[in-house]
Amino acid sequence: MSRRAGVVRDLRDLGLHDHVCWAFDDADEFRARATRFLAKGLDLGEQIWYVGAGEVAALEDEMREFPGMDRALRRGAAKAASVEAAYPGKTVIDPTAQVRAYATATDQAVAAGFTGLRVAADASALVRTPEQLDAFARYEHLIDRYMLTAPFSALCAYQRSLLGEETIAALACMHPGASPNATPFWLHATADGGCAAAIGGELDLATRDLLEPALRRADLQPHNGELVLDATRLAFIDHRSLLQLAAHARNNGHGLVLRTAHPGPSHLTKALGLTNVRVETPT
Amino acid sequence: MMAATEPFIHPALFYRSDQEYLDNLVPFIRDGRRYGQPVAAAVPTKKLGLLESALGHDAKHITLIDMTEAGRNPGRIIPGVLRAFADDHPSTHVRIIGEPIWPGRSDEEYPACVQHEALINAAFRDRRVTIVCPYDVRRLESHVVADAMATHPLVWEAGHEQVSTGYAPDAAIARYNLPLNGTREAASCTVRTAADLSAARHFAATEAERAGLDRRRISDLELIASELATNSLQHTPGACQLSVWADAEHLVCEARDIGQITDPLAGRRPPVDGQPDGRGLLIVNHLADLVRVHTAPGGTTIRAYLRLDAKLR
Repeated sequence: MSRRAGVVRDLRDLGLHDHVCWAFDDADEFRARATRFLAKGLDLGEQIWYVGAGEVAALEDEMREFPGMDRALRRGAAKAASVEAAYPGKTVIDPTAQVRAYATATDQAVAAGFTGLRVAADASALVRTPEQLDAFARYEHLIDRYMLTAPFSALCAYQRSLLGEETIAALACMHPGASPNATPFWLHATADGGCAAAIGGELDLATRDLLEPALRRADLQPHNGELVLDATRLAFIDHRSLLQLAAHARNNGHGLVLRTAHPGPSHLTKALGLTNVRVETPT
Repeated sequence: MMAATEPFIHPALFYRSDQEYLDNLVPFIRDGRRYGQPVAAAVPTKKLGLLESALGHDAKHITLIDMTEAGRNPGRIIPGVLRAFADDHPSTHVRIIGEPIWPGRSDEEYPACVQHEALINAAFRDRRVTIVCPYDVRRLESHVVADAMATHPLVWEAGHEQVSTGYAPDAAIARYNLPLNGTREAASCTVRTAADLSAARHFAATEAERAGLDRRRISDLELIASELATNSLQHTPGACQLSVWADAEHLVCEARDIGQITDPLAGRRPPVDGQPDGRGLLIVNHLADLVRVHTAPGGTTIRAYLRLDAKLR
């Protein structure tokens, strides 16, 4: 199973496990991107959910403007939901409960004969405060782990003008893939059992304030006392970022292992004399 | 020739023949063994062979380092060779033979060599270390010998030890803090914010590829460019102008900013585990084949050189 990773420009061909963040500018853009993403779900036999702000009836009307959606709505393959209904609870979501809710919905879709569940959601309303952002970014990582094996795919859309670049980046970096210019790096779940997560993209001064919160929110689990990161898609890491990763591992009592064929991390580890960092060449 | 209990001893050894080289250094090494002091010899390749055959069996008790490799960039000798060995033996006096200057060092390398020799004095103040630096005075030019007098408090010559009358390491550092001019054919880009770093790395890599830098070293160059530009953003109020060009032997990456480096040992202190920041120059010293710095109140220019001939890496 391979998932789309890195910068995603086209939403047409995303598969049963894809998890993509999209930063959009206005409601029209969200509608167009979401329906493009969802239309593929209908092709794949998934149940599709269109989740946005406002009344369900109005959201359904928005869907009907796109080819094939009216019929899908009538036969139960497509559903519109208000963001409040899809993410119930108080103003701050409970990350674990939210994953359970989508897992249940996925099971129900499969039980009803669909190949899986596909959700396009504008979650901008749920990440307005620091507490909301913390919880939602944590949820993004947890749902990403769930999506690795379950037939659940999602387009998580956030409105740039409402949230600002920093918040967008803090959320986008918790996905395997994101729209152009949303984030310089990605920290996401991986099917490789020996790795706590995968990290891709570029880490430098531009990601200094993003990296530590992302690591904290992901709450990565060590393997035999080592925090192992699949860094095969990490194109660049500077020494400060490597020190950040090493410090995060050490503060949690672990060593850090980076799996990468790039020579940079080995050079840095040697030059800095880092004793709690190992670089492994992937097999 | 020396009392084993003094803390830091830094003589220049002036020798005129291989025999004189061995007559001084073999006893220095054997005395180290006798006093239980660890010994390292970081000298040019041919001298390594000379010492090895003269020492015979005893050669396996000392650490032999090829200075043309480990010390090709003089900027990494203190952290990567001298401190690395001394810090491995914190509880005892150690002896190091360090020969960073040999006939054949280029005009570009030489100023960095002198500054390195001068900075040893500050880097090892109060440490229990002897670092003897051999100079082939028969083949080196007279100004090199004069510079060695300025950078070493002691001189060993013809079996005698003398206090160096010309000892003035700070003046030597200042004398070789030379302006770096002549980048007329360089491509350049300006890094104003952290968001520009990715494009700057791409720029450097593209220029290096065009100039024929070995593929395996392009990632070294990307790190060098990024670390230099990041230093400018972190430590100065202005931007970093990055330039990349090739000369006859090197790919050169230059960073210019409006800051001044006030710590002469910047980039030469070994890393301290857990220290989160400020190791950029150390990384550049580790990766480059030569680093030249000019720093003044008006601004700083740093040039990192990477050999274009991959065989020399």
